[in-house]
Amino acid sequence: MKLSTLTRTAIVTAVTATMLAACGQGSTTDTPDAGADDTPSADDAPADGDDPSAGPGEAPAAAGGDTLTLWLAGETDTPVELEEWLVTAFEEETGATLEVQRIPWGELLQRANQALPDPDNTPDVIEMGNTQVPTYTSVGAFEDLTGLLEELGDIGPEGFIEAGTYEDTVYAVPYYWGSRYIFFDKAAFEENDLAVPTTLAELSEAALALRGASGDGYSGIWLPGQDWRNGISWIFAHGGDIAVQEDGQWVGKLSSAESVAGLTQWQELYEGATTAPQDGRDAEPWVPFNNGEAAMFMAPSWARWSVEEAKAEDLGAFALPGVDGGVAPVFAGGSNIAISAQSQHKELAADLLRLIFSDEYQTMLAENGLGPADSEFTSLMGDDEFAEAAIAAASSAKLTPASPEWAAVETATVMEEAFGRIAGGEDVATVAKETDAQLADLLNG
Amino acid sequence: MSQESGTVLAAVPPAAVAGVPGPAPRPGRRSRRGLGPYGLLLPAIALLVVAEGYPLVRQVIMSFQEFGRAQQFGAPPEWVGLDNYRALFTDAQMWAVVARSLAFCVVTVALTMLIGTAFALLMLRVGRTPRVLLQVSMLLCWAMPVIAAMTAWQWLFDTRYGLVNWSLNTLGVGDFTRHNWLIEPLSFLLVATVIVVWMSVPFVAFTAYAALTQVPEDALEAGQIDGANAWQRWRFIIYPSIRPALTIVLMLQIVWDLRVFAQIHYLQGVGGVPSETHLLGTYIYTLGVGQSEYGMASAFALFVLVLTLVLTGHYVRSLLRAEAP
Repeated sequence: MKLSTLTRTAIVTAVTATMLAACGQGSTTDTPDAGADDTPSADDAPADGDDPSAGPGEAPAAAGGDTLTLWLAGETDTPVELEEWLVTAFEEETGATLEVQRIPWGELLQRANQALPDPDNTPDVIEMGNTQVPTYTSVGAFEDLTGLLEELGDIGPEGFIEAGTYEDTVYAVPYYWGSRYIFFDKAAFEENDLAVPTTLAELSEAALALRGASGDGYSGIWLPGQDWRNGISWIFAHGGDIAVQEDGQWVGKLSSAESVAGLTQWQELYEGATTAPQDGRDAEPWVPFNNGEAAMFMAPSWARWSVEEAKAEDLGAFALPGVDGGVAPVFAGGSNIAISAQSQHKELAADLLRLIFSDEYQTMLAENGLGPADSEFTSLMGDDEFAEAAIAAASSAKLTPASPEWAAVETATVMEEAFGRIAGGEDVATVAKETDAQLADLLNG
Repeated sequence: MSQESGTVLAAVPPAAVAGVPGPAPRPGRRSRRGLGPYGLLLPAIALLVVAEGYPLVRQVIMSFQEFGRAQQFGAPPEWVGLDNYRALFTDAQMWAVVARSLAFCVVTVALTMLIGTAFALLMLRVGRTPRVLLQVSMLLCWAMPVIAAMTAWQWLFDTRYGLVNWSLNTLGVGDFTRHNWLIEPLSFLLVATVIVVWMSVPFVAFTAYAALTQVPEDALEAGQIDGANAWQRWRFIIYPSIRPALTIVLMLQIVWDLRVFAQIHYLQGVGGVPSETHLLGTYIYTLGVGQSEYGMASAFALFVLVLTLVLTGHYVRSLLRAEAP
């Protein structure tokens, strides 16, 4: 087989291209997504062009024809009717158009990294997970909201405001909160003469008793080994913590006596009461429940809607109990919302925040089971056992360490691997100590 | 291998290689022929310079800088000289990743080439219907979007409901009830190897098959008359004719399998212990996108580029030499 000069040159070019692409793949600043992201917002560009003249404080009427971009996290997290209400109300209020883009959680950080620094492509208002926000407040990605706070009313939870605060300035406010609690199969509890647990030890007892109650693969509680987002509650319940700031330095706290006690109790529970895989995480914990293979699982409130009809009849809920009764602190789920520092429509963006914190919108959030930032509306979440469990669990919810570097801990799957090793039977104290070293290393940047 | 190509070429009379009928070539015609092809390549090269050249230059610069999230949001980057490289080359985990990636690359490339070539030979022998069936199914494997395929593979290897565990149990191979395929790094890479090989075999098979159809029939016939058995015909007639094609494919496979990313990243999201299963691609991704250590990630990416050049340089050279007059 003979190759002509042309073929040869073509091969060399192709190979060179492939090898360059090999490194392009590794290069992290230029992902192929970037091009796709640009398209929708590129339409705004002409409107943006004449905007600088219309400075902040301009009357809303002048905003006619402008488009404000709002990024909502998750495909379905904010119900569609809420989005529709916002779009209509925003147009009535300001005369400008509101364009809502839903960004899947998995892509949010990466796309935010690309869009937020760029005035032409930035979303004006952006929703972000409460643990992701600190990563951005410290680098000046968001607008200072201190001046707006009073207008928004009495908002919380406090931990969410802290997450959105950097050096005493509030950059991101709570959007909604959710909380994790235990879902359980009432029928299974009844058949085995078990009462709803009121302490963590009772929960373990019940789970151990139910293990194998209905076949070899049956779990007393579905407790995946790497699911630290739920597992962390056992640490919190015993008074432990992930990491704290001491003298300006982050120090890992998994090896504290309290944390080790919590992890040990969790390890016993994993070993004796579950058939969940050692490397399982928090995705779809309702699947084994639906299949009749688990008596309990722990999940955020919205998991309720994923339980199949046949099972929903016997579905019950309770907040994870504390060590000596009461309620154990859970890992708070939920979002913050912020205005991009690069937004060309900051006054309109502020108007949107005012709408989000309006009584109507807060009512709609609560009625849809999303914890409203304004606690006045919390009671509207309902009074059934699910709402009660959610509200009880939220009352003592905790957040991840508010270090700008926390995102690095998540992407390096430090917590997942620590819990996975403990689930695998490794010595709790050893794993905790090693993980503390990793945490200190990452959190201090 | 390069020695062989030397002997093949030596056997051909020089005049035939030059392919010039007259005593002196007309100069005008020659230069037109020389420049034309290069002119055609210009658009491609321009595209390369813009799409690949700029990021590459930027990457080289960044590898000498402390470049994190603050810099992405406008803070001026700080020059740190060779600090990134120093930190990288003294990092035990990085060398573990390099070693793991090389081993993974060698195994997957070898398997892909062997299976692909075997399929090509099979396609040559079997009748029309089975051949078309084989081609269609391989084309489907090849055309399947990575994430769609990965979802199916994830279900196949699922700990609880996976078909693989069920089949092994049913066949009585052993107790695979709730067997976890991803938790042990070696087993994780075994699953990854199966998937990557499955995805790459069609390309090798099609290319090798195309080359095989070009093997001169008369040479094979002559060999048969001279009493060459099947192995000898493969070794001395078929293999030398399809070798240039196989070399190109081999080179591409090395590059692809060294930078494999999507499959590993997906599997890590599903289970296993990511820090023990990182390959080059996922490690750089975690450093850069995950921890916003863009400087370090750039330095590592450049090292990977050099590694790729070293690994494939030999084949590029032998390709060029094989064709040089």
